[in-house]
Amino acid sequence: MERRSFLKVAAATAAAAGTGLLANKASAADAVTIALIPGLTADGFYVTMHKGAEAAAKALGVNLLYQGGAKWDATLQIPIVEAVIAKKPAAILIAPNDKQQLVGPLKKAFDAGIQIVCVDTFIGNGVFQTGSGDADFPISYVASDNILGGKMAAAALAKAVGGKGKVYVSNTLPNVSTTDQREQGFKEGMKAFPDIQVLETQFNGDDANKAAAQFQAVLGRAPDLVGVFGANLFSASGAGNGAKQAGVAGKVKIAGFDAPESIVKDLKDGTFEMTIAQHPAEIGYFGLVAAYAKVTNNPVPTAIGTGFTVMTKANIDDPNVAKYIYSSK
Amino acid sequence: MTTAALASPTSRPSLLMRVAELRAWLFLIVLVIFFETWTRIGYGTSFLFSLYNLQAIAVFAAMPLLLGLGQTFVIISAGIDLSLAFVMGLASVVAAHLTNIGATNFGMSQPVAMLFGILVGVAITIIPGLVNGWLIAYLSVPPFIGTLGMYGVSRGAAYLLAGGMTIAVDNDWYSQIGNGRAFGYIPILVIITAAACLILHYMLSQTRFGQHTYAMGASKAAANRAGINIKMLTLKIYVLSAIMGGVAGAMYTGRFSAGAPQAGEALLLDSIAAVVIGGASLFGGSGTIWGTVAGAFVIAVIQYGLVLVDVEPFWQFIAVGGVIIVSVLVDQTQRRYLGGRQAE
Repeated sequence: MERRSFLKVAAATAAAAGTGLLANKASAADAVTIALIPGLTADGFYVTMHKGAEAAAKALGVNLLYQGGAKWDATLQIPIVEAVIAKKPAAILIAPNDKQQLVGPLKKAFDAGIQIVCVDTFIGNGVFQTGSGDADFPISYVASDNILGGKMAAAALAKAVGGKGKVYVSNTLPNVSTTDQREQGFKEGMKAFPDIQVLETQFNGDDANKAAAQFQAVLGRAPDLVGVFGANLFSASGAGNGAKQAGVAGKVKIAGFDAPESIVKDLKDGTFEMTIAQHPAEIGYFGLVAAYAKVTNNPVPTAIGTGFTVMTKANIDDPNVAKYIYSSK
Repeated sequence: MTTAALASPTSRPSLLMRVAELRAWLFLIVLVIFFETWTRIGYGTSFLFSLYNLQAIAVFAAMPLLLGLGQTFVIISAGIDLSLAFVMGLASVVAAHLTNIGATNFGMSQPVAMLFGILVGVAITIIPGLVNGWLIAYLSVPPFIGTLGMYGVSRGAAYLLAGGMTIAVDNDWYSQIGNGRAFGYIPILVIITAAACLILHYMLSQTRFGQHTYAMGASKAAANRAGINIKMLTLKIYVLSAIMGGVAGAMYTGRFSAGAPQAGEALLLDSIAAVVIGGASLFGGSGTIWGTVAGAFVIAVIQYGLVLVDVEPFWQFIAVGGVIIVSVLVDQTQRRYLGGRQAE
């Protein structure tokens, strides 16, 4: 490039950056800014969580930033964390995509004076503010207790299959804290039922097509399969479709996790026997409140557990149950 | 030019060359024998002579194969279509939305609403197909980059239209298309996929469009000088590929009673692998529809079979990856030593 045109471009860029910085500074002085980084943007669960966080932000007069990756991928989330750090929010609510890989970037944020709240998934071991460990700095972990959720699924599924038979877990990918915990909780819960044998977990990479084929393959080698626990939506809906293809829908019971809008039909036509619905709006709401409390120098509990609702064909029409269906409305 | 390349272009192909061309089917036969032995010894059941297994594998392979059919044309033309991952999802979401809108807003009956949804869902894919073709043919963007760009645009569009969620569809007819069986045996999804295979095989092997595709892949310059309108051809190829993505997406919505933006995400690499295992060269100029069919079944048989015989899940990734590497190696060897005779 010629020197003169280069200088022009450089000057224009500097002016733009300067204006940008000024604009940022102006808004930062007005209200507390808190950023929410979901596990991924394209997911009913996180859409509902965003809604909850927005409600809390409105109530508290907080400016809420929302940035996330389109996929559950630490390599997508880390640059987003770094971009958000540059915007200097007072706090970041984040659902980390990986227990280890996000520790470094979040520590950078913390060292830059930004408070961290983990929502849904966690870094390290999820127990914060103990005074030890390198992932100790987040102020709180706000989530459903996924281990409890897994145990509830185990109890409900065991009851539905009459306490005996073979079951397996259809999971997405290993080393994701939420689905790992649900599987762990499910297996622990199943220990109370010695006549139920838990077969090896199948990983479907969050692809319903593969989950369906895996179901049919497991059924092929274990005709006495009675139940499947799908650790997330596509796992459960894939397994349910596999059951339909194999002609055993309703005979092999599927326990799912999460409650997108399609759950109503799936419960009513027997594709799912039950689903464990989380309360993501609560997670978003209380996550934001926890961050705000810390930023305004108030004490914060280090762990906030939100609840579950077990949805079945029998109770899905009850408005008190149906209000927990994930939706963007 | 090596002597191998000059040697007898019109004489009968040697046995070795035939084997190399049909390697996908050979892989398939070897795999089936492998699993048949294992299931007999380990479980006392049959792998191949089980209607249940055949149905499961056929349904499993259907959607990656639909994507692979369009991908075959693209790869033969020495291109690649990465946008299929989300063009399929875009079609899935649009089909879901319009089936719902047709029923609620226009009072259509279920079968009509379903057809409305499917038609619009497939038709909308013409847009990303045209953009791909235009970028690659008229703006000379390399196919990898151009379709990667559309991958992102389609992804954004699909997620925006779906509001980040899955779109539930309540339509029994549509669900039957995705899950029903004709005569109680053959899944309708498989019939539709088979029909698509026949149509696209005819297009590739019997029409001028197919011949020109091979020519373009073998040597774009020569094809151009022979008078083939390369730009129009490119446009048609990418629109065809996108339409196949649309069909796959529409089928997905029927099967799972919900449109999902990420419906095709996991299937993209399988579709490319199916084409490559099937004998196509990523450099263009060779490949067949039946090769892609064999390739898709190789992948499905491996993934299904390993779960059926209870192998540790992570071996599946290694197995599929291994088959791809062997396929490409055979293809390279074929080019170097056997004169690289093109598939017909």
